[in-house]
Amino acid sequence: MRDLHLQQLRLNQTQRVRLQTALQKLQDVSPSSAAATVAVADNIPVNHEDGVLKGHGTSELDGQVVATLCGVVERVNKLVYVRTLRARYKPEIGDIIVGRVIEVATKHWRLEINFSQDAVLMLSSMNLPDGIQRRRTATDELNMRSIFEENDVICAEVRGFQHDGSLHLQARSLKYGKLKSGQLLTVPPYLIKRRKQHFHHLENYGVDLILGCNGFIWIGEHVETSNGVMEGDGGNKVEESNESSSHSVPLGEKGQRLMSLETRQHICQIANAVRVLSTLGFSLTTEGILEAAKASISLGINTKDMLGAEFHVQTAEREVGRRMSLLRKKG
Amino acid sequence: MEYVKLSGFRLDGRRPTEMRHIHAEVGAVANADGSASFEMGNTKVIAAVYGPKEVENKGQQIGNKALVRCEYSMANFSTGDRARRPKGDRRSTELSLVIRQTMEACILTHLMPRSQIDIYVQVLQADGGTRSACINAATLALADAGIPMCDLVTSCAAGYLNSTPLLDLNYLEDSAGGPDVTVGLLSKLDKVTLLQMDAKLPLDIFENVMQLAIEGCKAIANLIRQVLLENTKKLEYLRGT
Amino acid sequence: MLQSKSFMKMTRHGRAVKVVREHYLRDDIYCGVQYCKVCDTKDARLGSSESTILVVDTNVILHQIDLLENPAMDDVVVLDVVMEEVKNKNLSVYNRLKALCTSSQRKFFIFYNEYHKDTYVKQMVGETSNDRNDRAIRVATQWYQNHLAGSSRVLLITNDRENKRKAIEEGLSAETVESYVKSLGQPGLLDLVVVSSSEDVNVMEVEETRPSKRKAIYSEHKPMSEITHGLHRGIYHQGKLRVNRYNPFEAYVGSESIGDEIIIYGRSNMNRAFDGDIVAVELLPQDQWHDVKKLSIEDEGKDEEEGVHLVPGSADDAPRGTVPSAVPSETMNSTSCRPSGKVIGIIKRNWQSYCGSLEPMSMPAGDGGVAYALFISKDRRIPKIRIQTRQLGNLLNKRIIVAVDSWDCLSRYPSGHYVRTIGNIGDKKTEDEVILIENDINSRPFSMQVLACLPPLPWNLSPEDLMNPNRVDLRHVRVFSVDPPGCTDIDDALHCTSLSNGNFEVGVHIADVTNFVHPETPLDKEASQRGTSVYLVDRRIDMLPKPLTEDICSLRSDVERLAFSVIWEITPQAEITSTRYTKSVIKSCAALSYVEAQARMDDSRLMDPLTTDLRNLNSLAKIMRQRRIERGALTLASAEVKFQIDTETHDPLDIGIYQIREANQMIEEFMLAANISVAEKILKHFPLCSLLRRHPSPTKDMLEPLLRITASIGLDLDVSSSKALADSLDHAVGEDPYFNKLIRILATRCMTQAVYFCSGDLSPQEFHHYGLAAPLYTHFTSPIRRYADVIVHRLLAAALGISKLPPVFLDRNQLTSVSDNLNYRHRNAQMASRASVELNTVIYFRKRPTDTEARIVKIRANGFIVFVPKFGIEGPVYLVKRGEKSDWLVDEANQRVTKAGSGVNYRVLQAVKIHMEVVEHQPNRPKLELTLI
Repeated sequence: MRDLHLQQLRLNQTQRVRLQTALQKLQDVSPSSAAATVAVADNIPVNHEDGVLKGHGTSELDGQVVATLCGVVERVNKLVYVRTLRARYKPEIGDIIVGRVIEVATKHWRLEINFSQDAVLMLSSMNLPDGIQRRRTATDELNMRSIFEENDVICAEVRGFQHDGSLHLQARSLKYGKLKSGQLLTVPPYLIKRRKQHFHHLENYGVDLILGCNGFIWIGEHVETSNGVMEGDGGNKVEESNESSSHSVPLGEKGQRLMSLETRQHICQIANAVRVLSTLGFSLTTEGILEAAKASISLGINTKDMLGAEFHVQTAEREVGRRMSLLRKKG
Repeated sequence: MEYVKLSGFRLDGRRPTEMRHIHAEVGAVANADGSASFEMGNTKVIAAVYGPKEVENKGQQIGNKALVRCEYSMANFSTGDRARRPKGDRRSTELSLVIRQTMEACILTHLMPRSQIDIYVQVLQADGGTRSACINAATLALADAGIPMCDLVTSCAAGYLNSTPLLDLNYLEDSAGGPDVTVGLLSKLDKVTLLQMDAKLPLDIFENVMQLAIEGCKAIANLIRQVLLENTKKLEYLRGT
Repeated sequence: MLQSKSFMKMTRHGRAVKVVREHYLRDDIYCGVQYCKVCDTKDARLGSSESTILVVDTNVILHQIDLLENPAMDDVVVLDVVMEEVKNKNLSVYNRLKALCTSSQRKFFIFYNEYHKDTYVKQMVGETSNDRNDRAIRVATQWYQNHLAGSSRVLLITNDRENKRKAIEEGLSAETVESYVKSLGQPGLLDLVVVSSSEDVNVMEVEETRPSKRKAIYSEHKPMSEITHGLHRGIYHQGKLRVNRYNPFEAYVGSESIGDEIIIYGRSNMNRAFDGDIVAVELLPQDQWHDVKKLSIEDEGKDEEEGVHLVPGSADDAPRGTVPSAVPSETMNSTSCRPSGKVIGIIKRNWQSYCGSLEPMSMPAGDGGVAYALFISKDRRIPKIRIQTRQLGNLLNKRIIVAVDSWDCLSRYPSGHYVRTIGNIGDKKTEDEVILIENDINSRPFSMQVLACLPPLPWNLSPEDLMNPNRVDLRHVRVFSVDPPGCTDIDDALHCTSLSNGNFEVGVHIADVTNFVHPETPLDKEASQRGTSVYLVDRRIDMLPKPLTEDICSLRSDVERLAFSVIWEITPQAEITSTRYTKSVIKSCAALSYVEAQARMDDSRLMDPLTTDLRNLNSLAKIMRQRRIERGALTLASAEVKFQIDTETHDPLDIGIYQIREANQMIEEFMLAANISVAEKILKHFPLCSLLRRHPSPTKDMLEPLLRITASIGLDLDVSSSKALADSLDHAVGEDPYFNKLIRILATRCMTQAVYFCSGDLSPQEFHHYGLAAPLYTHFTSPIRRYADVIVHRLLAAALGISKLPPVFLDRNQLTSVSDNLNYRHRNAQMASRASVELNTVIYFRKRPTDTEARIVKIRANGFIVFVPKFGIEGPVYLVKRGEKSDWLVDEANQRVTKAGSGVNYRVLQAVKIHMEVVEHQPNRPKLELTLI
């Protein structure tokens, strides 16, 4: 959470107090990971007898393990590493990410994905529109722009690092590809947890929600890809071109599909829910987002007022309640 | 001019070894990867860090480490007389360089090859010791951006006026023309990354003055560490599990 | 440590700049009362027993500093706000106050009310800063009162009626200075109290009774804003007012804006300005430049007194150019055309304390109550000062010190107050004391702290000194000293040995004062303040305490002493082939006087080694001297007078010109060489922080009077360079033997003074010493009596790596201020010596009216100034009686005065017969009068 955003909220006195109490409660209920938080140059206590593997965010100084980042110390067996909170995205293989095309180059696209470098999506790692697996011809290369252009938002999966250190992506599934008719939000990546499911079809809203691991969140009109895509992550099925889904939708002036007003409102509603949660620094989960969206409806708060002070406070208070109940269930 | 009164008070009521009131805060710029504001008395500075990111100018890309860039500027309203400040004058070029070199010494650039880190520092209000304040703000912003560093580099100045070593000179004392020693310190490693003085000072006195500045750096390092820890804890508990 | 913050905004003018400054308020400022139970009493110095604690306001300090310096006033709290105000208003009072606050004998405590969280006062809207400061003082007093909670009385001393009223309203006790001093019951103290006429009702009444009192005598000073405005627009001119020593009704203001000196005639044009004040002057209309002169003299003719000042002012205080004739000559020559003006405002006062005596008056009838008296300063440039005293009877025949407090336009004379008594008039001791005070010379005994820095007595050479690798043992060398007879502070000694290669090894050994005087010790600070020893005719005021001056440092014969040596190898042709500097241990084998040394050299029968050394040295010195003269060194002359003093009465028995022998010149030559060698060495090592001595070349203007004189007698002086001048001086041989010397004396007068300076302040071309024709010069050879030499010793030691350079050298400002102080002290010491000579001359001639021959050196309209070679005396001779119209005409071109209608004339350098006699035209101001026979 950035204090900055909260400061811009224009809280009145009671709201400020409420928010503070809520945040205080959150602090109280949170498991005491306090001991595990470190700042740069803090010593990380380790038991040297067990042997230590120094992981990310650590270094050694005079036989001591020292943090080089601010974050939470995590220990997995012998591995000790610092999990950072605020930092750029650290890709892991298989991560589903949302990115923006910044360059169409020979046989590949370069994408901005909030990593320290631009990611590369090779033409060859890409399912062709016709869905046929084959060698890419020169014609395909010439037609790359018809697939993705600059500034297109696309969704892909992290394939891995090449030997030269560059990050490669792949989009070998119909669920990946260009994202249209929706909003792209960027949030700090630490708010999004890696899960099985990153594509969500919010049926009540008719909206797709993609929580990219890199902190890019896509909220767009629901696109019917295939039956099973939304349920499972086995996106190997390759059939039914996406054109079929678009037949039913009326086309706009320039041949674009027009979205219904309702869908637009829903997109905004979800997007604002994400914004509120990220402003407050709460982790972004489908449930949380949906709950926030639901709350706005039940409280009768207009979509535009969701970004107001009151809704923030209420969201914080609701989060307190949620975590308290979770704790109670555990206890 | 009398900068230290008979019983040792300075003009603003501090004693010679006292620092000004310090306030540090993380998160001053919304869209930056890391940002911070740092205040030493009336000196107020903000820093924003962007990166590590793709190198903008491919020619500058370094194969095995990150490229660090720094830009220092002074707001037009930062001093008493509202002056239009041309970008890239000698002073700000020099300060940009100083800050860049100081920060480069603590960033583990080899962990982020072929990328670029931009540091922007801007003085919002100047009352002496801007150099130090900028470095401290930049350190905070870098830590906030989650950029790996071997240590927190902190900076503090000390001067020597009326035969007294003075910690953390304000503008009035700074403009007295006496020596002004700015030290940048990696307090954990106990290494000096920056040492500047543009006057003459006998060696034994210089050592005292520098020691005083180092004490100041250490105090600032403690404060910055507290701020960072607090911030990390807050992020962690807000995020929830 | 609590630090709370508040802001002070200030707007500087010129361009509106907003200055935001932090101001930290704290809770660790203590009250300074020794028995306080709450505060840290470590630095407490107030009231050991329960007594009254005084809080004084700014004006009390500014006006009553003399009173505060009296030990009867103690337990005084000086607030920070007061300190600051005093600092801004009057720096000299501030320094005195600081001395009081730091003195361990006095119970003065500075309370930093501005930084204390409970006593800080924020300026309210619409409140002037004066009111705010007054409020701050009251708040602090209140704090003290609450803090001490009845354990002692806290009394606010203020003369400001409004402030006092408010204080009493706020429940504080407040009193005026006068009523407080009265309550102390020491009548003597009351004289020290400055009574401001506007504040004290009693004085008002007294003044009212005096006739014609309400008439404004002087015109009002213009308000400061108007003056600044006028200065900007060039209507007014700013400058330092300097009063003519010969005529207190004539003053000069050197103005940069018109590039010339403005002459101010008469007290009313001077408009209450004192000598040394920075004033704003308005030029008078050009047609008045003439009239004013006459007018002013007639106007105040009754005060007019043409006094005799036996010794003329030095070049720096005599006005540039000629002294304008009191009565205009027939032609409108350049002098009478000089602009004249009147003072319209005083920018900065230069009021000091003055020595003098009261104008004799009959004791007022009635009780010994308050009486008014007129004080006449010894310094004739200072007007009479009106004082109020309760001890008139005591003071009438005493020399006293009086300070000036105010001078409003209604009173003819400034009003002041009595400070202290020096002694009886005419008493030699008193008069010496007066000389010292007038020249700001500290003749107090050294303090305990200073004496504590001395090594234990008796001092002997310690083995450590011999073990010191930096110190060379030269005890086996035949070292001797040559000094004036009776000299006890011997700071230089020499040796001269023949080397096997035919060369000589010559060593100059200077007392190693810095071995005993360490930087930053009280001893060093005291010496630095005194700057130099002062030699009066029969008394010496030492720079260093006596044990150092006369024993430990003095290179007496047959004792082992530490020295700092410069050792040369010199060829028989007096070429220096190598120079060596070292600390050393020496044992002088003989302390000769000049006479003895001369006698030994002259006595051809003596062939002992010492005499041979002397002769060798002398022959070398002669060559060196000759070479120096060829380079263009000037042989200048001054009329140094020597007195023979009666050992019992201390009265001068005989008077004569000091005789210079070859031996003197020999010693002088080697000292010069040593100084030059050292100057080169230290400048090489410390190009920016060396202390050197320079003698600027005289400007054309300065030589103008000399040239005019020589031109009138048909002698042509070439002043294009020092060499040319030296040569033409050598050729200026007149018909009589004294002619050359006289010309040299006149030439000397035209020169500027040589001054100390810090090498970083000037460019190398300016380092030149004109008189010695040396590119570099410094003072190294007399560390016992000159502080400059102490500094140079330290520099040399640092250059040799023997010791570290003290920090003062690295702060150029500090070094500059040290050298300024040295110049000031040096000049004062010279003035004091001259004044002492003058005093003794008067004493000498009091019983011995004499007829003698004199030379005319300056022509004036109503007389001329003569120089008496035999006694080294200079003084005016009047051709016209006071008040009479002069019928003598001045001929500027030929430098002569001619009596109108007769052929009688006098020209410059002419020999005249005069009669010298001490007269006392004015009581208590005896002077030597010269009359033409």
